[in-house]
Amino acid sequence: MNKKSKYLFFTIVIALFTIAIELTYLNSFKSLTKKDIEEKNILVSSLGLPDLAISTEAMYIRHRSLSDTFSVFKEGPELKEYFPTTFIYSHSHILNNTPSKIINEK
Amino acid sequence: MKNKINIYLIEYAINSLLRQKYKNIFILIVFTFLTSLLTSIFFISNSIKHELNSTLKSLPEITVQKLKAGRHHSINTQIVDDIINIAGVEDAIPRVWGYYYFANAGVNFSVVGIDEFENQYKDSLNKIIKENDFSKAEENSSMIVGTGVKKILDENYYSEYFNFIRPDGTIKPVNIGGVFKSNLQLESNDIILLPKETALDIFAMQEDMATDIIVKVSNPEEIFTIASKIKLMYPDTRVITNKELEISYQNIFDYKGGMFLALFIVSIFTFFIIIYDKVSGLSSEEKKEIGILKAIGWKVEDVLKEKFYESFIISFIAYTFGILISFTFVYIFQAPLLRNIFTGYSQLKTSFELPFVFDFNTLFLVFFLSVPIYIAATIIPSWKSATIETDKVIR
Repeated sequence: MNKKSKYLFFTIVIALFTIAIELTYLNSFKSLTKKDIEEKNILVSSLGLPDLAISTEAMYIRHRSLSDTFSVFKEGPELKEYFPTTFIYSHSHILNNTPSKIINEK
Repeated sequence: MKNKINIYLIEYAINSLLRQKYKNIFILIVFTFLTSLLTSIFFISNSIKHELNSTLKSLPEITVQKLKAGRHHSINTQIVDDIINIAGVEDAIPRVWGYYYFANAGVNFSVVGIDEFENQYKDSLNKIIKENDFSKAEENSSMIVGTGVKKILDENYYSEYFNFIRPDGTIKPVNIGGVFKSNLQLESNDIILLPKETALDIFAMQEDMATDIIVKVSNPEEIFTIASKIKLMYPDTRVITNKELEISYQNIFDYKGGMFLALFIVSIFTFFIIIYDKVSGLSSEEKKEIGILKAIGWKVEDVLKEKFYESFIISFIAYTFGILISFTFVYIFQAPLLRNIFTGYSQLKTSFELPFVFDFNTLFLVFFLSVPIYIAATIIPSWKSATIETDKVIR
């Protein structure tokens, strides 16, 4: 083994080792704990709403998946093309007081 | 003996790679970027899916909605008794919930009414609300809000109470009793939880009406039968089982992940075509090299092995770095920009954390999409020039 192949070997070993360390770290600090899951379940069972609160601009969000199997495609606010303004051209920057408006993020 | 790794060939491969340092470094960077992008998308989608799936079992087994003219409509609570009488039904609860549009901030809150703060709820709700706040919620006519709602209300100077405007224009003030814990943001950010009577009052709904009816079934095997029974009894309803919810989730994430997979496949094939093109039009120097190698006694097999090592070194390093970067990007930096693909552009932004899920499938998928294809794209053209007569190549 010459110097260069040793370097290569070390690079790969270090990369794999870093991945292992990162996985251990993420697994112990960033994954959902039992308590988290339990709390989430308490909340969900008292609310009974299926969808996550990640999109709130439109009227149908929290029961989107309650409509039918394919309504995600026609109604899902997650699909950016849903609002015509986002499909081809940018929305108006002057008039933005309509419902489900899009605020320009700075 | 044939399959033994030849360390000298590896050394030769490294030297050969280093001879074209800049080209190979560039390939490495592009490749790493491509793999990390794809892996990140899958990781984000997996995390959100995991979050949804971990609460899926707490959702009502069956939800009954009334349809009128193809639209969702309030349902009469009288049919609750009929549903409870179906064999196998554990409980049927009429629910009142809906959206409240708060024009000042341009957001929709999800208002959910529950049967007063009864004991069964009190104990469990106590666990998920920031401590010391709940005592207020037990007072009459107060509500528990999600962190996002609380923030919006604070910005609009409603720190103690909120004035709901009823459909007839009159005002209904409701005290803020508590706030949900912030680690529940993903589920509760836009939620206003209040007693059912208050919800009915805000929406100006009649006492005997409800938004929908949730049905609890103890035996999962019976869900489908009970759902079809309800459908038969009330043909004007839409009966949704929790299985259908699961399918619907799957659709969203498959759609989004799939869109990216398609984009990725396009870009990665472009990448391979470029590589293939580059290598198949081997420069005369490289062809000469292969020729000389063969002239000094290398077999075709050895040349191919050497090329294999070369491409494996590049693609494997790119793959490991790609994985490493996407783990860091998604779970430590919480995937800025890319996350928005899944969250939409809502006003009530959640600042949720993507929970870490270790998913072997994604890692395998990305591995097989990148490493073997790259190796093939380099080996095939070298095989072509390695099989040409030696003297032809050198000349």
